Amino acid sequence: MHFEGTQQIKASQRAIFEFLLDPNKVASCAPGFISMEILAPDHFKPTIGIGVGAVKAKFTLDVQLQDVREPTHAAMKGHGVAAGSAVDMVASVDLSPVSDAETTMNWIADVTVSGTIASVGARLLDSTAQKQITKFFDCFRQKLEQPAQ
Amino acid sequence: MTTDAAAIGGMGHSVKRKEDARFLRGKGRYIDDIKLPGMLYMDIVRSPYAHANIKSIDASKALALPGVLAVITGKDLDAAGLAWMPTLMSDKQMVLPVDRVVYQAQEVAAVVATERYIAADGVALVEVDYEPLPPVIDPFKALEPDAPLVRPDREAQTNHIWHWESGDKARTDQLFNEAEVTVKEHIYLPRIHVSSIETCGCVASFDKVSGKLTVYMTTQAPHAIRTVYSLVTGIQEHKIRIVSPDIGGGFGGKVPVYPGYVIASVASIQTGLPVKWIEDRSENLQADSFARDYHITAELAAKNDGTMQALRVKTLADHGAFDAAANPSKFPAGLFSIITGSYRLDAAHVEVDGVYTNKPSGGVAYRCSFRVTEAVHTIERMVDTLAQKLQRDPAAVRMQNFIQPDAFPYKSATGWEYDSGNYPAALQKAMEKIDYAGLRREQAEKRARGELMGIGISTFTEIVGAGPSHTFDILGIKMFDSCEIRVHPTGSAIVRIGVQTQGQGHETTFAQIVAEELGLPVENITVEHGDTDTAPYGLGTYASRSTPTAGAATAVAARKIRDKAKKLAGHLLEVSPDDVEWVDYHFQVKGVPGRSVTMKDIAFAAYTNFPPDLEAGLEAVDYYDPPNLTFPFGAYICVVDIDRGTGMVKIRRFVAVDDCGNIINPMIVDGQIHGGLTMGMAPALFEAITYDENGNMQQSNFMDYLLPTAMETPVWETDKTTTPSPHHPFGAKGVGESATVGAPPAIANAVVDALSHLGVTHLDIPITPWKVYQILQEHGAAES
Repeated sequence: MHFEGTQQIKASQRAIFEFLLDPNKVASCAPGFISMEILAPDHFKPTIGIGVGAVKAKFTLDVQLQDVREPTHAAMKGHGVAAGSAVDMVASVDLSPVSDAETTMNWIADVTVSGTIASVGARLLDSTAQKQITKFFDCFRQKLEQPAQ
Repeated sequence: MTTDAAAIGGMGHSVKRKEDARFLRGKGRYIDDIKLPGMLYMDIVRSPYAHANIKSIDASKALALPGVLAVITGKDLDAAGLAWMPTLMSDKQMVLPVDRVVYQAQEVAAVVATERYIAADGVALVEVDYEPLPPVIDPFKALEPDAPLVRPDREAQTNHIWHWESGDKARTDQLFNEAEVTVKEHIYLPRIHVSSIETCGCVASFDKVSGKLTVYMTTQAPHAIRTVYSLVTGIQEHKIRIVSPDIGGGFGGKVPVYPGYVIASVASIQTGLPVKWIEDRSENLQADSFARDYHITAELAAKNDGTMQALRVKTLADHGAFDAAANPSKFPAGLFSIITGSYRLDAAHVEVDGVYTNKPSGGVAYRCSFRVTEAVHTIERMVDTLAQKLQRDPAAVRMQNFIQPDAFPYKSATGWEYDSGNYPAALQKAMEKIDYAGLRREQAEKRARGELMGIGISTFTEIVGAGPSHTFDILGIKMFDSCEIRVHPTGSAIVRIGVQTQGQGHETTFAQIVAEELGLPVENITVEHGDTDTAPYGLGTYASRSTPTAGAATAVAARKIRDKAKKLAGHLLEVSPDDVEWVDYHFQVKGVPGRSVTMKDIAFAAYTNFPPDLEAGLEAVDYYDPPNLTFPFGAYICVVDIDRGTGMVKIRRFVAVDDCGNIINPMIVDGQIHGGLTMGMAPALFEAITYDENGNMQQSNFMDYLLPTAMETPVWETDKTTTPSPHHPFGAKGVGESATVGAPPAIANAVVDALSHLGVTHLDIPITPWKVYQILQEHGAAES
C-alpha cells in the first residue's frame, strides 16, 4: 500500500527536523503506541497495538533511520512481527521552508501488511491504514504547533 | 412363501438413515469428541508471509510458559527425516519448513501444551525472524523468466510443474482449419474451498509399550494414509492404526495428508502421550488444500448447421506451492479429458500445464471426480456460446449433437468408453417438467418490456468410480475396493467396507445392498468402516467411487455368501443344490414354492447343522476391480431473474433430472442431489478465494467467504431417468457429485442468456451482483 501526503506546519524547518530525529517524540504520535526501547539514536523498537476490524495485534517494530540529510530529508525502515501477522514499512519525509515560521512537509509511506491481519481484515485494511498513517503525520503538525510548554 | 420387500428394505427403498439416530441426537463421534487420558493439545505457528526466508525461530519464551511441553520446528523434523513428506502426485511437500515458507498461513512450528488455550498462548510467544521474499501469485507471471522461484528444492529450476495432454492434436487442428464456424472463450474457474462443517484434525496416540501408533483422523482414505505413514516413518504397518470416526463433511478436502496430522503424530511419539490437533475455521480456510483454479481457453469448431466437430482446450492449472492434488497417479489433470461431455465430436485436443505459485496446495477434487467440474463447465458454456453465435436455441443444439442412446458403449474423442446413457430422454424430461417452450415465450415478452430473465441448460456427463486397476492407482496402490460380510448364526450380519462415509449414508445403503442380495432385513445388518484394524483394505470415499467400487464388492461378496447358502439350502431341503432356486428373498425347491428356507434358517444351519463336505460359517470377502468407470449424467434447467437496480441474480426455478443408474435409496439420492445443487450454486454465484499482491488470502472467514444458507437457496425440483450401468453388479453409477458438477454451468448459462441480447457471451463465476451491475451499467441497461 502506498500513501503520501503534505502538511503545512507552522514551525521552522529546523524545529521540525529536530522533532523527526527524536524517537520519543515521533513514537508518541504512533497510533496505539505502548512503549519503546531505544537501541541507538537511529535504531529503536516501539511497541504498538494495531487493530483492523475485529483483529488486534501487538507489534514490536524494529525501526532504523536511514538517509538522514539535515535539515531537509529523513527516511525510516520498519519491520515488525506479531502472532501470524507482519508489517513492513518504508517512510520518508521531505521538508521545504515556506518562511522562517512555516514549513511544507511532504511524506511518503509504503506499507506491506501480511498474515492474519491482512487476511481477516482484508476489506478494511486500506482504509484503516490510510486513516492511521494520516493521523500519524497529522500528529506531527499538532505537536509542533503547540505553544512551547 | 412371499417376503415383504419393504421389511427387507433392499434396493430402491427409501430406508431411513441408520446414522441419523445418533446425528440428530447430537451423539455423533467426531474427532473433537475423542478425549483420551492425559491428552495434550497442539496449536500451530503459521507464516504471515507468502514467501520468506526463516532466519531464526526462538521458542524460549513459549517454552517458559507453564504448561507448554514442546515446540516442534522444521529442524526437529528434519533430524528425523520428516521435514518433507510425499504428496499423492509425485511431488513432495513441507511438513514444517527448515528455512523457507512458501505461502501465507503455512505451518512454521507447533506448540504442544497441557491445555488448548495454553497451546494458543504459546503460539503467540514463538518468535520467528523472517526475511520477506517477493511472492508470485499469478500463475501466468509464474511462467515468466524472471519470476520468483517457488520451489528451488526441485531439480527443474522453473515454476512449471508438468504438461499433460489428451486427444488427437493433428486431427483437431485440421478440423479447426476447415471449420465453417468456430467460437472461443477464456473461462476461469476460481479457487474455492470445500468448507466442510468439521475442520481437519486428529488425535495421535502412541503407545510406548506396544510401539503402536493410533491416529484418529479426519480422513476420507484411512487405509491409504496408513500405508503412506508406514512408508514415510518406517513404522511397521501393523503397528499403525488409522481410525476415521464420524466425519463432518469431506468433499475431497480430507483426502490429502496435512502437516498437522504428521506433527501431532511426532509429538505423541516424542511425549508418549496422546496429542490432539484441531484446526480453527480460519486455519482451515487459509491453509487446507483448495479446489479448481483453472484458467481455460476453449474453442469449439462446428458446421453452420450447428453440428459440433472438434474441441480444442488449453489450460493453466494453479497448483500452489506443492502439487498435492489427490488425483490417481497417471492423471495429473484428473479426468479433465471428460471435457467432450455428452456430445459427438470427431476430435478433441486438451492440454493442461501445472504451475507453482506462492499459495497453499490446490487441486482438491471438491465434490467432483477429479477436475470433472472444470471440464463440464467448459463444454456446457461452449455449447451455449456456439448456439448464441449461430442464433440457435441451446436446447436444440444439444439435441442435435448428443451421443445417441444406441451409440453406447461410446468411445469419446479423448479415449473414454462411456458405459451407457440416454441424454435426449433426460433433457426432454427436464424441458417438459419446466415448460421450456412456455419459458422462452415469457422471456421474449419480458425482454420486450426491458426485464431480464434467462434460461440456462446443462446436460452434463460425469465420469466416476475410479477405477480399473489397469489405469487407476494412488501411489501405486490400485483403486479397487472391498467388502467383508459375516452372517451371524441368528441371521443378522456385519458388513465391513473399504470406503469411508462422511455423510453419504453408507451405514444404510451398504446394508441395503446386502439386504437385497441375502434377503436379511436391513435393520439386522450393521455396517462398519473407517478403522484400518478391522475394515478390509480400500482406497476410500471420494470421486463418487463408493457405490461403483465398494458397493460392487458388497454385492459380489453377498453373492458369494448366497452361493454357499444355496448348498446349505440343498442340505436343509434334502435336495441337490442344483434343484434349489433363489426366489423372492428365499431359497425354494425349483417349482415347489411350499418347500423353502430363509437366509435366517440357513445362517443358523451354517453354524449348527452343516453337511460334512462344507466348512462352517457364512462369510465372504471381495476385492472388486471395476472393469470400467461409470458415467452418470443429467439434464438441468435453471431460470433466473436479474434485478436491473442491483445486479442480483435470483434463481426462480431449477429442475434437475439425474440419471445415476439403478438407485439403492431414493431418499438418500435426493438428499445428495439437493446438497450437491446447493454446493453447485455456491461457486456459481458466491464463492471465490482471492489473494492480494503480497499473497494474503482475502477470504479467511465466513464473513468474507460467502456460503449459501437456506436464505439464498431456492427450492430444487428433482426428477430422474434410469439407465443402468451395464458392467456394475447391480447397475448403479454413483451420484454424490453429479449435482455439484452439473449445476454451475446451468446457472452461468442462464445469466448469460438473460444478458445475451446486450452482446454478453460469457461471464466468469462467481456471478456476483457487482459483476452483473457493471455489465448493466456498461450497456445502459441498469435501473437507476
